[in-house]
Amino acid sequence: MISVTPKPLTSQQSIRDLANLTPDQVALEIQNLNLSYGDKQALHNISMLIPKGQVTAFIGPSGCGKSTLLRCINRMNDLVDNCHIDGEIILHNENIYSKHVDVAMLRRKVGMVFQRPNPFPKSIYENVIYGLRLVGEKNRRVLDEAVEASLKSAALWNEVKDRLHESALGLSGGQQQRLVIARAIAVQPEVLLLDEPTSALDPISTLTIEELINDLKKQFTVVIVTHNMQQAARVSDQTAFMYMGDLIEYSDTNTLFTTPKKKKTEDYITGRYG
Amino acid sequence: MNTVNKKNRKKKHNIMKVKEQNTAMVSDYKKWFQSGSPWVWLSASGVSISLISVLGLLWLIASRGLSYFWPATIYQFDVNDLQGKSNTVIGEIYDREFIPVSQLVHSSLVFSPETKTVERILIKTGNRELVNLDFRWLLVPQISKTATPKDVVVIERRTNGNFYGFIEKVILSGKEVDISQLSELVDRVDNFQEQIETLQKSDIGAINYQLERLRLKEKKLRLTKTLTVNKQKTIDGEIAHLQSEYKKLEQHLMTLRKQVDRDQLIVRTMSGKSTTIALENVLSVSYANRLTLIDKAGVFIQKIGDFVSDDPREANTEGGVFPAIFGTVLMVLLMTVIVSPFGVIAAIYLHEYAGNNSLTKMLRIAVINLAGVPSIVYGIFGLGFFVYVLGGSIDALFFPETLPSPTFGTPGVLWSSITLAILTLPVVIVSTEEGLARIPSSMRHGSLALGATKVETLWRIILPIASPAIMTGIILAIARAAGEVAPLMLVGVVKMAPTLPLDGNFPFLHLERKFMHLGFHIYDVGFQSPNVEAARPLVYATALLLVTIIVALNMSAVSIRNKLREKYRALEH
Repeated sequence: MISVTPKPLTSQQSIRDLANLTPDQVALEIQNLNLSYGDKQALHNISMLIPKGQVTAFIGPSGCGKSTLLRCINRMNDLVDNCHIDGEIILHNENIYSKHVDVAMLRRKVGMVFQRPNPFPKSIYENVIYGLRLVGEKNRRVLDEAVEASLKSAALWNEVKDRLHESALGLSGGQQQRLVIARAIAVQPEVLLLDEPTSALDPISTLTIEELINDLKKQFTVVIVTHNMQQAARVSDQTAFMYMGDLIEYSDTNTLFTTPKKKKTEDYITGRYG
Repeated sequence: MNTVNKKNRKKKHNIMKVKEQNTAMVSDYKKWFQSGSPWVWLSASGVSISLISVLGLLWLIASRGLSYFWPATIYQFDVNDLQGKSNTVIGEIYDREFIPVSQLVHSSLVFSPETKTVERILIKTGNRELVNLDFRWLLVPQISKTATPKDVVVIERRTNGNFYGFIEKVILSGKEVDISQLSELVDRVDNFQEQIETLQKSDIGAINYQLERLRLKEKKLRLTKTLTVNKQKTIDGEIAHLQSEYKKLEQHLMTLRKQVDRDQLIVRTMSGKSTTIALENVLSVSYANRLTLIDKAGVFIQKIGDFVSDDPREANTEGGVFPAIFGTVLMVLLMTVIVSPFGVIAAIYLHEYAGNNSLTKMLRIAVINLAGVPSIVYGIFGLGFFVYVLGGSIDALFFPETLPSPTFGTPGVLWSSITLAILTLPVVIVSTEEGLARIPSSMRHGSLALGATKVETLWRIILPIASPAIMTGIILAIARAAGEVAPLMLVGVVKMAPTLPLDGNFPFLHLERKFMHLGFHIYDVGFQSPNVEAARPLVYATALLLVTIIVALNMSAVSIRNKLREKYRALEH
């Protein structure tokens, strides 16, 4: 039996009623999303609203499709051969899967952090401004400010400010992961996707990242995939439980962990399988 | 349940017993074989064989090649020839060998029955213009006296090779002067000869080059029917100006020649005959037997320097190999510049863009098989396609005024580089593709997730990380190209190139020119030369130089690659 302590609610970050969101409270809307790899269907008719400025967690056993769903949001699944998607994901009143969407532009708006830290073999500074260099930013002052702001947001500034021009590969795993987060937020995305961001890290680094996620939602909408239910309970405002490619239950974290409506959810969060 | 377990245990026990018996029966040999040590020995001996062959090869060419530069002792032998007459032979010992007595039955020499073999030595006697052969075999028993006279001199000459003998007189504009002035006079002549050389090569060469260009310009205008009276006038004016310049230079050359002609040496040969050597023909005079070890080391280094920096003389059997070094390096660099982008682009296409289908597989197989095509085939292809088709079309389009004499439609350094680039292309493609495949996909995804397009990801992330692999490909390409000779003989290498492909005349880099190459130089000097004996040490020296250059090119590429590797090492988990 896993003991789950739901996060205490603050008045400022109150949980919104998912059923009654006003349009400007919605960051993303997923509508009837189906995805298949070849003949194998991985997501079945997923529909959900992801609220703005909050942390939404996807949980579920391995292979349930939570990472796949996350990758749909910035179209990383485009890189997979044989991947067929239909349905819609609406961002700013526009389906990101419609033909005239510039995928690169979309990914600038929807940043992503992966399971394993993947800093580029460049300096810390160059890693952070990678996205800005892509849009042709050359002004040294702008770049310097962006580096400082992003690293501060990622709670890494104090540790690396004296060695910005050293290789990023020299950082520890936890620092690398925060650097990757800094790199993602340097381009000022609206949505930040975190794909099991702490699964390759030690407990202390995990704690740092979790605290960081709490700060990040002040600026961004955060969607996190996690294996770890305590983590979901600690960091998220909404939680979606997925199983075998189906969205089983989606509600505010508190409700989902204390009074799950579905049997499968209950079985999962009480550790009966998964 | 318990009984089943017991049964199983019993069974297991029985099996163990049988196994033990088996292992007891296995012979020591089989044990040794199973331990894996034969494979260790096999691989160790493989490594040692390759190491020994590399070191042995290097030692052979280094010792033979370098001994060419070491000043040899000059011997004077008193020899009774087969007719019983006595004469003197002066020269340096070049080679020794033992021959069986049976080969000497017909000579008048008498040997005791015990002697089975006789030693004979090869003497380099020089003085090519005076005797028929400048090398002579002497049987050791024929030699009645050996001496190393201190007064004997070696005179290195611009033509006819070395002279060995004694100096009798030094003549300065008709009057005899003291022998101590000789080195001063030699230096003076050297100085003038150098001036003549630069005058002929750069100044007069440049004027000739400009005259030729003017002639072509005039012809071109005539061909396009745009030769107006005014243009004709300016061209004629320029030609007249150049010709007057030429006259001036010619006059200067004549005065220099007269200066050079002034002095002579009277020398005595080994046969006691006196003869005159014009000082203009003398490169250096040395009393070889008076040199101390330190002097010899100085001469050794200086001779190596001359070998590397001088032009060849006497049908390549004397002098240096500078044009060949220059040609080799230039050709290899051009090849690298051509092959790297093409190889990398092809690899990127195959790995990043081409679909994973049978066509791609066939392309890959074709590329790999390209590496197995004999190099002479590339030479023929280069001659047929690049030289005749491409070069011919370039001439027809851009250089119609020089026709029928071709500009690019003839073998040259550009075509050689391109031919070798095609030859080495598979190497670069294969190793670049391997490098691309090794890059973790998290790098690509990280970049793409930040809003980079595929091309941006390639340029900013993938190619820098793949650069060590690309460098490996380039290293292998250089190693292969620098040693290749056969295709070059068809597409641009010549025995003797009058001008370097790089000079002071616009456009400075003349890619259409033919060039000299160390590999071909070895072949030419060793097997096509009129004086094989004299050329032999040069073959070793040139081979040593070629190996040195290839090693140097490789080492610099390897060090660049290692630096890059160091940078990206942390990525290879």
